[in-house]
Amino acid sequence: MHPFQYIKPRSITEAIKLCSENPEQTRLIAGGTDILAEIKEGVVRPQRIVDLGGIVELRSIRESEEALAIGAMATIAEIAKHPGIRLRYAALAEAADGLGTPQIRNLGTLGGNLNQRPRCWYYRHPLTVCLKKGGNRCHALSGPSEYICVIGGDGCYSVHPSDIAVALVALDALIEIAGPVGTRILFIEQYFKGPDVDVTRENVLMPGEMVTRVYLQAPVDPAPLMNQHNSLYLKARERQSGDFALASVAASLTLGGDSIRHMPVVLGGVAPVPYRARRVEEYFRGRLLADVDPPHAASLALHGASAVGDNGYRVTVATNLVKRAIIQLLKNAARAA
Amino acid sequence: MTLSIAGISAPRKDLHAKVTGQARFTADLKMPGMLYGRILRSPHPHANVLKVDTSLAMNLPGVFAVVTPFDVPQGRIAPDTGILDTRVRFVGDEVAAVAASDDGAALQALELIRVEYQVLPFVLDPAKALLPDAEAIHPGGNLATGEPLSVERGNIAQGFVEADFILEEEYNIPTHSAAPMEPRAALAYWEDGFLTIRKSTRGVHVDRQTMARALDIPLEQIRVVGSYLGGGFGNKDESRLGALAAVLAQRADKPVRIEYSREEEFVAGRVRHAARVKTRVGLKQDGRITAIHTTATLDTGAYLASGPGVARRTGQASLYLYQCPNVKYEALVAYTNRPVAGSYRALGAPQGHFALETLMDRATEAVGMDPLQFRLKNRVRPEGQIGPRVSPPTQIIDSQPVEGGIPFSSNGLEQCLLIGAEAFGWEQRAPNVTDVNPEYSYRPSNSDSPPIPTTDSPIKIGRGMSMMIYRGGPGSTSSAEIRVDSSGRVALSIGVIDVGEGATTVLAQIAAEVLGVALEDVNVNSADTLDTPNAPITAGSTATFSTGTAVVEAAAQVKEQLLALASTGMEAPINELECADGLVFVKADPSRNMPLKEVASLMTVESISSASTITPGSADYIVNSFGAHFVKVAVDTDTGMIRVLKYIAAQDSGRIINPRMALNQVEGAISQMLGFALWEELVSDPSTGVTVNASYLQHKAPTIQDYPDIRVIFADIVDPVGPLGAKGLGEVPCPGVAPAIANAVYDAVGIRLTELPMNPAKVLGALDLR
Repeated sequence: MHPFQYIKPRSITEAIKLCSENPEQTRLIAGGTDILAEIKEGVVRPQRIVDLGGIVELRSIRESEEALAIGAMATIAEIAKHPGIRLRYAALAEAADGLGTPQIRNLGTLGGNLNQRPRCWYYRHPLTVCLKKGGNRCHALSGPSEYICVIGGDGCYSVHPSDIAVALVALDALIEIAGPVGTRILFIEQYFKGPDVDVTRENVLMPGEMVTRVYLQAPVDPAPLMNQHNSLYLKARERQSGDFALASVAASLTLGGDSIRHMPVVLGGVAPVPYRARRVEEYFRGRLLADVDPPHAASLALHGASAVGDNGYRVTVATNLVKRAIIQLLKNAARAA
Repeated sequence: MTLSIAGISAPRKDLHAKVTGQARFTADLKMPGMLYGRILRSPHPHANVLKVDTSLAMNLPGVFAVVTPFDVPQGRIAPDTGILDTRVRFVGDEVAAVAASDDGAALQALELIRVEYQVLPFVLDPAKALLPDAEAIHPGGNLATGEPLSVERGNIAQGFVEADFILEEEYNIPTHSAAPMEPRAALAYWEDGFLTIRKSTRGVHVDRQTMARALDIPLEQIRVVGSYLGGGFGNKDESRLGALAAVLAQRADKPVRIEYSREEEFVAGRVRHAARVKTRVGLKQDGRITAIHTTATLDTGAYLASGPGVARRTGQASLYLYQCPNVKYEALVAYTNRPVAGSYRALGAPQGHFALETLMDRATEAVGMDPLQFRLKNRVRPEGQIGPRVSPPTQIIDSQPVEGGIPFSSNGLEQCLLIGAEAFGWEQRAPNVTDVNPEYSYRPSNSDSPPIPTTDSPIKIGRGMSMMIYRGGPGSTSSAEIRVDSSGRVALSIGVIDVGEGATTVLAQIAAEVLGVALEDVNVNSADTLDTPNAPITAGSTATFSTGTAVVEAAAQVKEQLLALASTGMEAPINELECADGLVFVKADPSRNMPLKEVASLMTVESISSASTITPGSADYIVNSFGAHFVKVAVDTDTGMIRVLKYIAAQDSGRIINPRMALNQVEGAISQMLGFALWEELVSDPSTGVTVNASYLQHKAPTIQDYPDIRVIFADIVDPVGPLGAKGLGEVPCPGVAPAIANAVYDAVGIRLTELPMNPAKVLGALDLR
């Protein structure tokens, strides 16, 4: 492994200062499940590693009447077993449940998961200098294409690997970012940016900035049972454990009487960012539950997707998962009514 | 013959050492002053190495030795492989190596080595490599075996003329990595011109010969010791690793240990040959088979390694699994600029069986027979194939014959088909129905949410089967030595290495059984060229059968000597004595007995011993192992995912010496081949030759959550030739897995998959075309 300087600050302020000194050559480490592999495999060679493990306040999950705040250093396992999350944000709990392996869930963190780099075979190989690494072409386009993105590719065809991000976008979460000039809060959907904005990264984090917290608003649905079942996460993968999604879907249903007030449907594993299927969302807005046609709604999800090489099957996988998700949420709603 | 020790599930000899962490693998070994070696690998798929400048690397503090193609000993690892070569033939091929006081310095030194390459055209596709205008990867051209392999029994043309109809299909099997948990490692050191190498290996004696040849030093000046192995699979042959460690150690005059990284193990280890297999079968209306013709093109990668053996084994199912008078098998083995294919559990048999056993499933449908009945009707019989015996009557029969006219020593194929079918409930199996309450769902497995209830489930259930034939254990000349000292302790010395499958335990059981002593009293010394007899590699499922035969013979000779001692001590004729459970007794009156330890104390010499060297096998019989597999799968037509729900494996490997370990072998084989069938494929980038998925994350070996419920049943037939009735086992179940699953998928959703792995891309692609 390439040698690096290792520092473990005790506060967010200190961490930001350490990151700001030479941001190009500095990487944050949380659980280390991604960055250490990247260093070992020769993909990145940071000179400095700033370990966030010493910052106690980043670890907490706090719940109130109105919201839930999850610190960036909360582990995936902590998120998966948190009773408040299991009760009210099923999509997030389920995304955490099926993520990686037990070891990954015990070490991996919220912040690390949101900021992990793509799993594209070419990005991950030290001998291929792809666009993300400053090269001038996407090698994946001329290589095996089963796992490359089906929508949103723009030069780079990697997919965003996070399960958690997909669930959080569907839950309209907010993300808090701390940096040298202060703290900002965004809708998490706005946090992720594809290669059309900047091919070398997957989000809007500026040099010296770090993710500190994610906020979830309390569900507003009056029916108590709906709080448990108004969201879900489905993931298709080849192996039952230790595998990234071929496609995944998170959906979150908010009812207003007999009709749907709001129902975001977000896809993972298909695009360079968590992909919010706006057409499906529009289809649902204000629609009577009785009028929903799940196969039709699902068919809208990847409108505009085009197969590249051999990846077309994942459009099918994703569309079918959306259909399953819709059917399941409608059933939950019917049961709650 | 009832047995008391062979046939029980004795705990493995290395159990305690392994579960307590005392077992030392090669990478655990450390010596005072030991250096860490690292290998510089080619970034090009094909190039000439013009110049290697090591001056910067040598000046780095901590660097003690560098070796390059220009200063390496010129002996050969294999006919087409030097220790290092000025031609590199795949991305990852060895270019140079360094030894430094710590691993970091060694890695840094690699970056300071300047190599000048002349890049050459490269070829990744074996069919293209064999075209006349392809760039030659080796001086003799890209047909790695020099000439095509072609064998025939009967008259294939006539067989197809007699056929009422003919089925034909081409199958595509990609490169598959053995992905052992333990990457290859070797530790080498020199003492006064004497070289010792401790390494991951599949045969210390064969490795010693390779080292002597490559380094050009006498055999007597080399000792090779095998360490515990973290995954053998017949795969850990001598690449250049041991020789590079030895050369570095000699130059540095210090011990040098090299351990492959995970990626190196995937890329520079040994992979299963990618293969294109075309099979053609002729059938009569009544279901009889008149002709089978198979041709295969195999990708051996940059070097030949085990290519000829693999090519031969790919054809054996076509030649021998079904009763058929007219069969032909042809194979081409091509060099390509890809990772080296070598021996990997069952060699070519999985490729060949996948083609034959899925095509035969089509045949059953074509003749309107049940797949089980078709196989019961057409299976090769105990009396063997029709046709004249060609080999001389005294010649030991190859365990992969072409000729007919030779019976099997034992053939439990029918029993396997029947007991497997019964355990599976094949005859009672329900017609294909859609499961309303699927056993399989996409909810995270540890979620307590209910499965998705749907009335029109996209998840379809199917059932399939396959059968298999494999070499039964006769291998090369094998030896064993047994010594009993005056305290009654037994020392068994064998040259083979236990690659993790449990050979030392099983061979000790055989020795204890024949001698009539307790298993605890048998100590095994193995896998060390210093003090074990010459031995072949642990490969081809041969260790139990071949070395076991030598153990039986040596043990019987020692037993004679012990009974002679007892005869004096007990004043009874030797032919009236027997020995069991550590007691020598008079057969007619077991109350007249003497503990073996007392008998041993009568010896006037330090110990009595016997050594046996045998050529295993039979001149009268083919020794083969068999099996039949039955599988139930769920196919999710929404996502293309196949989940294996239930697996029944019925195996005939003769008498089972250690049922628990035998069970582990079968379960392990099925689990390993589940990945081959469903997900695993080592991929080369077409435009650069780079292996792009050299990791456990990307070369997707199944996890514990993917394994089905596996039930293993042994026919447990006593083979008249094998030691105590045993035959080979370790590889035998491997070939059955992919075709059984493919046939079940057809049963579920009506698609015939001809390409592995059967991942969602392939399943949905085929469903789309349906």
